[in-house]
Amino acid sequence: MYEIRFHGRGGQGAVMAAQALAEAAVLEGYYAQAFPYFGAERRGAPVRAFARIDESKISIKSQVYEPDALVILDESILEIDPISEGLKPDGKAIINTVKKPEEVDLGIEVECGTVDATTIALETIKAPIVNTSILGAFARVVDIVPLESILNAIMNRFGEKLGHQSGVMNAEAARIAYHNTVVGRCKGTRTIVRKKVWLPAWDEIPIGNTLSAREIDGIAVGPGSMAQNLTGTWRTQTPRYSKEKCIRCLRCWFSCPEGCIERQEDDYERWDYRYCKGCGICAEVCPADAIEMVRGVYEW
Amino acid sequence: MVMKVISADHAVAHGARLARVEVVPAFPITPQTLIVELIAEFINDGELDADFLPVESEHSAMSAAIGACAGGARAFTATSSQGLALMHEMLYAAPQNRLPVVMVNVNRSLGAASGIWVEYNDSMPERESGWLQVYIEDNQEALDMVIQAYRIAEDRGVMLPMMVCLDGFVLSHTVERVDFPDQQLVDSFLPKFKPLYVLDPDEPVTMNPITPPEYAMEMRYQLHQAVDESKLVIEKVDREYGALTGRAYGGLIDTYQMEDAEIALIALGTVTSTARVVVDHLRSKGKKVGLVKLRFLRPFPSDELRSIAKNLKALGVFDRSVSFNGFGPVFTETRNALYHLGIPLTNHVAGIGGRDVTFEEVREMFSVIEENAKGHRVKECHWHGLRGGS
Repeated sequence: MYEIRFHGRGGQGAVMAAQALAEAAVLEGYYAQAFPYFGAERRGAPVRAFARIDESKISIKSQVYEPDALVILDESILEIDPISEGLKPDGKAIINTVKKPEEVDLGIEVECGTVDATTIALETIKAPIVNTSILGAFARVVDIVPLESILNAIMNRFGEKLGHQSGVMNAEAARIAYHNTVVGRCKGTRTIVRKKVWLPAWDEIPIGNTLSAREIDGIAVGPGSMAQNLTGTWRTQTPRYSKEKCIRCLRCWFSCPEGCIERQEDDYERWDYRYCKGCGICAEVCPADAIEMVRGVYEW
Repeated sequence: MVMKVISADHAVAHGARLARVEVVPAFPITPQTLIVELIAEFINDGELDADFLPVESEHSAMSAAIGACAGGARAFTATSSQGLALMHEMLYAAPQNRLPVVMVNVNRSLGAASGIWVEYNDSMPERESGWLQVYIEDNQEALDMVIQAYRIAEDRGVMLPMMVCLDGFVLSHTVERVDFPDQQLVDSFLPKFKPLYVLDPDEPVTMNPITPPEYAMEMRYQLHQAVDESKLVIEKVDREYGALTGRAYGGLIDTYQMEDAEIALIALGTVTSTARVVVDHLRSKGKKVGLVKLRFLRPFPSDELRSIAKNLKALGVFDRSVSFNGFGPVFTETRNALYHLGIPLTNHVAGIGGRDVTFEEVREMFSVIEENAKGHRVKECHWHGLRGGS
């Protein structure tokens, strides 16, 4: 059995990539399954999807904990999720990055294919949806399903859902990625980051189903508490605030959907970047251009 | 035959299309949404000649499905969790009025603590409603069972509503290869719905009148008998479907490696699949283990279970929901059925709130059952994957 785990961000199409791969495997005569992990995803949030390929009917229905291959649709997740946890020592990795394999540090040294899937996607399908490009790279690195079947599966899935032209463009993105993929070995020097997740025993969880108003209790209390989900890592753009230009109208403060703009006593603002997802609404509503969206994850 | 790589939710929608359902009242709720979305598409694209009623709540969805069925139409709906709970009142109208509505319930835990993941505590309480309940293991079975469900429900010896239950996300959003039977074949297997009575303005009848004590008890007994007798129809329909398509599921109950098994686990839903892998693994180590796939919870296959289990040294029962201060509901049902046989039984609660049920956890279940078979003292009810001592 060949097991694949996909890591991406909500909106990049990780789930669709896993499904198209499963379909390609079925077209090749294999048995396959693909499924997403459903957490509290939103656009930009780290997501996972899984696929299994085998020569006989696949019975196991649990998630994939020790994958043979990792497909990483967004390399920034390396900094926030233990992506390579469980990857087999003889496993393979496919990464969307501008770097060469030997410049990437996964925390485990394996055969690795890198491709700038974002640029390919932007040029080919005119959107930063990298799922089809990364599948092309997958075909190059892992010789379980040939490119032809992946292209057919992409044509089927995208063609049926979004029309023939979409199928053609997405297949083209996969084809270009296949040829542009650089194959080598990545580094394995970094320690694999493990999330600090609060996993209490049943008798350690306070009675009831209530989150305290105090944040410190939010850390200790209750399932899925905010303190465990620092959404600030999701953003691709960060608002930069200029106190000099600010006219203290407070529009940004009451427009922020996440409540991460804090009103100071003098009516100037302060951002809580731990939860800012970079939606840019604050910059949009600011009448004085005091807020500028800058690409990347910063804390000013 | 057409093949597609699709989710169980989509498989269900295709099943409803092939069954030529005529009225689909529905309210979308995660993880059932993919079903109603695709059915709406079928109707919009002219691939299914049916009326889609976008209702304002599940209570109305069930009311409309019952009304449509009473009007002589083949009715379909789907729901999950809170939606099923909201239907609770209306669910009871269908069985006693002998209206064979088919509904897919995508199992999801019922809040609080709110979650969107699989747990059977939404459908288990509806055991008492008079609906037949089948639990699904994979996407192919999901499609096939929607078609079978109408044949069973509409059989003159049954005439009862039927709930097809499938695991939220683990099945609903997982894609697998699914083969479609030809429409012609389905048509020959599933003739047009012939209701017992029809609401028709030209020949008025009263359906669901108030029923005084002089009649209600006998009518309930009738219903009790009908649920019991549905067993034969379920077996017969499955055999017939198997002869037509090559896919039969064992009727009420299916077994795996049970011929010479000394210990066994009863499982339902997707955990059955993972348990198959564990059985293979333990068999390769020379252990005589087997698996019982419980397909139907209503009717409950008591006799069938007795004949399968009679020679076992110990039996475990998996449950994906809890009856607080009691055991899991499947365990309670099983113990009732096997009471006189004196087989040592253990209950194995796992996967609560959508917790992933792993190979290791199922193996742990089998080791408890093995200990029990050896006569060692084990707890009667185990929670697997629980943090902290139980």
